[in-house]
Amino acid sequence: MRGLGLLGLALLVWRIVTVGLAENYPLSFWISQALNGLVLGGVYALVALGYTLIYGILLMINFAHGEVMMIGAFTGFFALQFFTGLGWMEGPTTLVVLALILIAAAGMLGSIVTGVTLERVAYRPLRGAPRLVPLISAIGASLFLQYSVLLIFGVTPRTYTKPPLLEGGFRVGDVFVPYTGVIIFVTSLLLMLALYLIVQRTKLGKAMRAVAEDKGTAALMGIDVDRVIVFTFILSAALAGAAGVMLGFHNTVVKFNSGFVPGLKAFTAAVLGGIGNIPGAMVGALLLGLIEALGPSALGIPTEYKDIIAFSVLVIVLIFRPSGLLGEVVSEKKA
Amino acid sequence: MLLRSLQRGLRIGAIAFAILTYLILIGVPTRLGALAMPVLALLTALIFWVALRGGKSKQAIANRAPAPLFLTGTTAGLVAGVLTASLIAGFAQLLMAGVNVQPVFDKMVPMNVAALYGVMPGALAAGELPPWGWLWQAALLTLAGVAGALLVLIERALRQRTWSSGGALRWLTMLLPFILLAFVVWLGSPGVTLGGNNRSTLRLLMAMAAIGSGLFALRAARPGREQRLLALLLLAGLIYLPFTLDQFQNSVMGIVFIFVMMGLGLNIVVGFAGLLDLGYVAFFAIGAYVYAFLAAPFASPALSSLLTSLGIPVDGPLVSFWAAIPITMLAAGLGGVLLGIPVLRLRGDYLAIVTLGFGEIIRLFMLNLSDLTNGPRGMLNVAPPYLFGYSFGNPREIFILALLGAGVIAFAAYRLDGSRLGRAWIAMREDEDVAQATGINLARTKLLAFAIGALFAGLAGQLYAARQMNIFPDNFSLFVSIDTLSLVIVGGMGSIPGVVLGALALKGLPEVLRGIDEYRIVTFAALLVIMMIVRPEGILPSTRRRRELHEAGGPASEPAAALEPALPSDYRTLDGGKP
Repeated sequence: MRGLGLLGLALLVWRIVTVGLAENYPLSFWISQALNGLVLGGVYALVALGYTLIYGILLMINFAHGEVMMIGAFTGFFALQFFTGLGWMEGPTTLVVLALILIAAAGMLGSIVTGVTLERVAYRPLRGAPRLVPLISAIGASLFLQYSVLLIFGVTPRTYTKPPLLEGGFRVGDVFVPYTGVIIFVTSLLLMLALYLIVQRTKLGKAMRAVAEDKGTAALMGIDVDRVIVFTFILSAALAGAAGVMLGFHNTVVKFNSGFVPGLKAFTAAVLGGIGNIPGAMVGALLLGLIEALGPSALGIPTEYKDIIAFSVLVIVLIFRPSGLLGEVVSEKKA
Repeated sequence: MLLRSLQRGLRIGAIAFAILTYLILIGVPTRLGALAMPVLALLTALIFWVALRGGKSKQAIANRAPAPLFLTGTTAGLVAGVLTASLIAGFAQLLMAGVNVQPVFDKMVPMNVAALYGVMPGALAAGELPPWGWLWQAALLTLAGVAGALLVLIERALRQRTWSSGGALRWLTMLLPFILLAFVVWLGSPGVTLGGNNRSTLRLLMAMAAIGSGLFALRAARPGREQRLLALLLLAGLIYLPFTLDQFQNSVMGIVFIFVMMGLGLNIVVGFAGLLDLGYVAFFAIGAYVYAFLAAPFASPALSSLLTSLGIPVDGPLVSFWAAIPITMLAAGLGGVLLGIPVLRLRGDYLAIVTLGFGEIIRLFMLNLSDLTNGPRGMLNVAPPYLFGYSFGNPREIFILALLGAGVIAFAAYRLDGSRLGRAWIAMREDEDVAQATGINLARTKLLAFAIGALFAGLAGQLYAARQMNIFPDNFSLFVSIDTLSLVIVGGMGSIPGVVLGALALKGLPEVLRGIDEYRIVTFAALLVIMMIVRPEGILPSTRRRRELHEAGGPASEPAAALEPALPSDYRTLDGGKP
């Protein structure tokens, strides 16, 4: 296995040197691609954290997490429309900033409602069931959410329009940096910091860690396990909602199935970093964003294969390092 | 007590309101027409019944005293009624004011709201709604609350009586498939004008019901001579079926049985060996495409130029359908091994995600390797099977072939289940470490599961390609995997008759109920979740699985409590997750 891995690595490097570098792209191209990757990686990180948090506590893959994000993006879109209707988006800077914060809050709220309902309806009755059972329930929930959104809101994609204030960007040397990219990246970093502080410094965060460690013992210590699980779903849904709104501004369109592929990629990122490991999810997501942004040009393959790269990364990581890059958290048995 | 009943009523009412809101938003009233409100009320009554009876056990139902029950039911009905009627009135006001809500809620057309008042959409536009509309809707739903409570009481009364059918029920179960078959034949005879235009659909439905009831009949029969005789009779009926059905009915049955073949193959991987494969469509696609390459080489630009340069003519199929069978199966089986090798070390959820990735990768390759697969334009004019010079590609012949294929696969699966390999799979499913310790070669056993499952999917794929004649990458989306997995689960994991029943329910019923086509995925997704909560072992479970999931006894409505002691140790429970 190891020999095979080294051989693959050698082939990869050879391909990059002979094809990717032979194209002689200017350095500014690589840098702007990398910045793009970091922005996307920041969004993936927020979703990946949701997978990791829930996996850490329930040991289940919340397959519907991408849909939780998508519903956040829809709620955010309607809030955006509302504020556009009020004329806030063309107003003074403070009004625009306030509106953007409220839009993000709306997206988070939409996701939280979805996430909590999901936990109550589709996961809680199955606690303690064999492992395939909640996974299948999660697949069902994921499909249900996608196609309910399709039925309720229709097939027409919703288009996020950026406020005029956010159009454009600035230049550093030859590299163009869009404002939205900076805002998305900084916001996701701030949210990650907030999550880290909640998990490490608050009492509920402590309870979460205790429940993740051992549910039975945590319950004996007087921790309300059900409440902690609901709180975990709230946290991860809130991050997903924010990610959904940011992805909306980044990709400009939102559809009923826009949560699926980003969800899968975020899951890949979580696994890449070591699932159940919070810093791991952040590192894995940023890395995956970079790989996805730089990969097609470096390997000289068409961008349609972008998704294949992400999936291949997932497969390769799981084969050669099932515990992820940072994780010793996942034991062989759990993987 | 009073306060608790009221509280419970409030909660149940709110849940019913949420469900009703959902149904209205997805446009169900439009479909129901003038009957929308009564049908929704009926549905609400059923929801109240389920919510009010609480636990499934006799004890729980017997303990419900009538007075608080009616109080809870009426409160729930009142809450749901007032909220729902107000919501409808709100939408009606908006629409009458000329506001177009469609940019937000796609299905909220005037027709949808008008149906809830039992009037034509024109009346809504003219602002002429029945004056008592709000009251009528609220009253109907309140009535549903009372009806729900009444249903609980009726159920209790029925349960207190002990029924003795004296074996009549068993005989009826065993006779039912033949009665249904006779009905199908009678419906097909000329001059019968039952159901007008829907006769053909009714006939299809009856034919599917006959097959489904046959499975229950087999289960009801006493093992031994009785069962063998029944099986023989049922088989004769089944063989007769394609000859009595018409083209449309045969074509639906063909696709159902192609999915039975798929389901039986996936059942080996998921049901027997416990390896959750979400990328099963990959092998189906390999089978279909390999057959397409063999039977229509001219459709593939790269292949036709290669063959021309070798001096082989490409204007017709390279090999016949029959000679292609071993080739496609081998190709799919090889695909199974190739997928199996890298994922040997993965378990459970990880395996599911990686296989899902593989399925998508295969589809993306089919889509993007335009030189080989002709990309999104698809492989066209794939040759149907020929037998003694006659085309065998009509729906009837495809159904026969699918029956034959499903029969062979079912027999193989049945034999495998009891074989040494089958027992090794079960051991591995229950606990990999223990299985290895008892001398099972895990790598070999897993690869065999993947390969055998893939072989069958390849065969199904070949038949599918021959049936469709034109195949496109979009025919092999993730939904084929999910459909197949759902039918295995709904039928009962690890159970061969369960797969047939699942395919009939999930692939056949939507064809009959064309009207609900739009709601198909939502319905089955909801069904999947409900199934996992209420009956995780499926409709026709294998005996072993049912024991696993219910051995500890106790009420089935509390699966967590019932499942815990019977867990196979490979499945990590919440408490046992960390060593």
